[in-house]
Amino acid sequence: MAGRDNLEPEKGNVDPLNYHSPNLSADWRFSDANLMNTSVELIPRCNSMADFKGNLVESPSCSFVSMVDSFCTTIWDQSTHSQNLGICEINVPNSASNSNTLGIGTSGMGPLRTGGERTLGMGWTPPNAMLKGGVFLPTASGMLPPSLSQFPADSGFIERAARFSCFSAGDFGDIMNPFSSPQSMNPYSRGMASMQGPQEVFLGNGLKTIYNQHQKKEISMTENSKDVEGKAIKGSPLKDDKKSVSFGGDGVSGNESDEAEFSGGGQEEPSMLEGRGGKPSPKAVGSKKRKRSGQDIEIDQVKRAPQQPTETPKDSPEIQQQGNQSPISVTNKPNGKQGKQRSPASASLKEEYIHVRARKGQATNSHSLAERVRREKISERMKFLQDLVPGCSKVTGKAVMLDEIINYVQSLQQQVEFLSMKLATVNPRLDFNIEGLLAKDVLQSHAGPSTLGFPPDMTMPFPLLHSSQPGLIQAGFSGLGNSSDTLRRTINSQGTAMTGGYKEPTSQVSNVWEDELHNVVQMGFNSHVISAPLNSPDLSGHMNAER
Amino acid sequence: MTLHQHLPSNPRSIKTRFAIRFLQTLKRLNKNRPISSSLREIHGRYRIVKLAADASMASVVGSRRVWSRALLWKIRNRALRCNSMKRKRIHALRVRRRGGGGHPTRESGFGQANDLRKLVPGGEVMDICSLLDETADYIKCLTTQVQVMRNIADLYTS
Repeated sequence: MAGRDNLEPEKGNVDPLNYHSPNLSADWRFSDANLMNTSVELIPRCNSMADFKGNLVESPSCSFVSMVDSFCTTIWDQSTHSQNLGICEINVPNSASNSNTLGIGTSGMGPLRTGGERTLGMGWTPPNAMLKGGVFLPTASGMLPPSLSQFPADSGFIERAARFSCFSAGDFGDIMNPFSSPQSMNPYSRGMASMQGPQEVFLGNGLKTIYNQHQKKEISMTENSKDVEGKAIKGSPLKDDKKSVSFGGDGVSGNESDEAEFSGGGQEEPSMLEGRGGKPSPKAVGSKKRKRSGQDIEIDQVKRAPQQPTETPKDSPEIQQQGNQSPISVTNKPNGKQGKQRSPASASLKEEYIHVRARKGQATNSHSLAERVRREKISERMKFLQDLVPGCSKVTGKAVMLDEIINYVQSLQQQVEFLSMKLATVNPRLDFNIEGLLAKDVLQSHAGPSTLGFPPDMTMPFPLLHSSQPGLIQAGFSGLGNSSDTLRRTINSQGTAMTGGYKEPTSQVSNVWEDELHNVVQMGFNSHVISAPLNSPDLSGHMNAER
Repeated sequence: MTLHQHLPSNPRSIKTRFAIRFLQTLKRLNKNRPISSSLREIHGRYRIVKLAADASMASVVGSRRVWSRALLWKIRNRALRCNSMKRKRIHALRVRRRGGGGHPTRESGFGQANDLRKLVPGGEVMDICSLLDETADYIKCLTTQVQVMRNIADLYTS
């Protein structure tokens, strides 16, 4: 495994990523079966995570990025380790940009979870595309080692991870020590935790211990983890997990107890992990849930540790969660009960990213959880639209907001029609001098010309049209009555914004606008019927008057 | 080129690109039109201006957005229909287009979304989430369009 030595040169980890790879490989193969099961499920997650990659704005900590960089480059070079490469590429692509790293983080989580299945590559093609090489090698064996080897920064960590999978209790002490940085640990610990199957649980425990250790910088935990390994702790460990997790955030002492709890929790069945909230939830304990619980545990850990510069770790789970709706829903099920307890500790963290967790008393059905994710996304977009649509800050509720949006879009479209009609009448030849227009800075709104040209232009046709075609205008009014207020508001806001020196009473102008728009719309409607506009005589009269 | 000397601070902004393209499109479309003040001609010009505005806006945005793609597709189809009367093909295309997208009318509390779908081009086949996304982008582009057109109209009326 000479190649491994090259891994993470930048990190300067003491331990080369030797992983004792041959041994690890052999051991990791045990988990193949488990990994396979989850790979399919993780595919959509990976894909969705790739989608969310672009949406994520937060930038992980530098260590994370550097970690990914080092990890990716090292793994990149290791052409021999095709399996690893398959996983590595996930992390590699976005080493350059922060936003990418988010994706990497998420992707890293994904592949880790799937255990480096081929599916990982599929999901992560976009991020990988960013990379130079795109050495995309599906991990045929789908072994844990490849995914584990991806963990950048800490070669020692990887060693430990490998050891975890190997179920070698005695190695904990060695594994714990060479931790380089807590930051680097977090995303990968999470990924580790997400390992499926029993290994996942085991890893989760180990990761948790490592995680906490990092936070607390205490090595005594290792002993606890060792002890826990062999036990099958049930019941309280779940609660303890929670506590220990919060410890991570608070940096509370009691490493040993925490470790014991963590490992105990980890040791327990996946269902136990799910029910970490202190209530071992007997719900749906399946391999699917298992992996999610592991992931969830990690996520909780990350959430609990606000102290840490865990932008990265938070982001990673967030990203994962965002990308994985269905899996999240499952993990959230058990955590739902805990959610309330944990909320105080992780409230700040929760707000920072979209973390789907079933709240206490809420249905934890996978469908409802996915629904909740969707609803959150939709409300997020509604808020954005609220900023876009003027005068919607006080509006609450989706229905009213939607109505406002619809009215605003309608008014904008009507304005475009009106302006195009105006342009058609104003310039019959439509021979716009581009250079001349741009020279006049047409792109900037002018207060002067508009003030001068506006009133006479607008008020003149108004009385003409109004007197001659009251019926038409009335029809226009009634037809657009709903949007008239919005129109007025919109026009007012736009008018005030555009023409700073506009002295006309906006209500009058808006009325004129409104009527003109109504007329224009009416004309447009009429034109669709392929008939001359009803108010053609007036309009032509109006036009002649203008000329 | 003198054109670039007068460009505003952000020559690559949507506003600038739209303005340029709009004016160029208008020039192209009006090359062979009779210049008269009859109402019908005015109306014809109005339609051309509107078409130019929509087409240039959609082309500036490009194929990044569903609504711009749908708008361009619609314009192209309209031209096709006018020119060759290939109704059958267009109908088939339209049907195929509607096949995509999932459950547009699902989701509680979004009954009005159907109205929004009619407003936003290409909104019939999108789910609520992407519909809101497209609406936001569409609103942004519409406001740009209105601003530029208003400025041009004001320049000519002053």
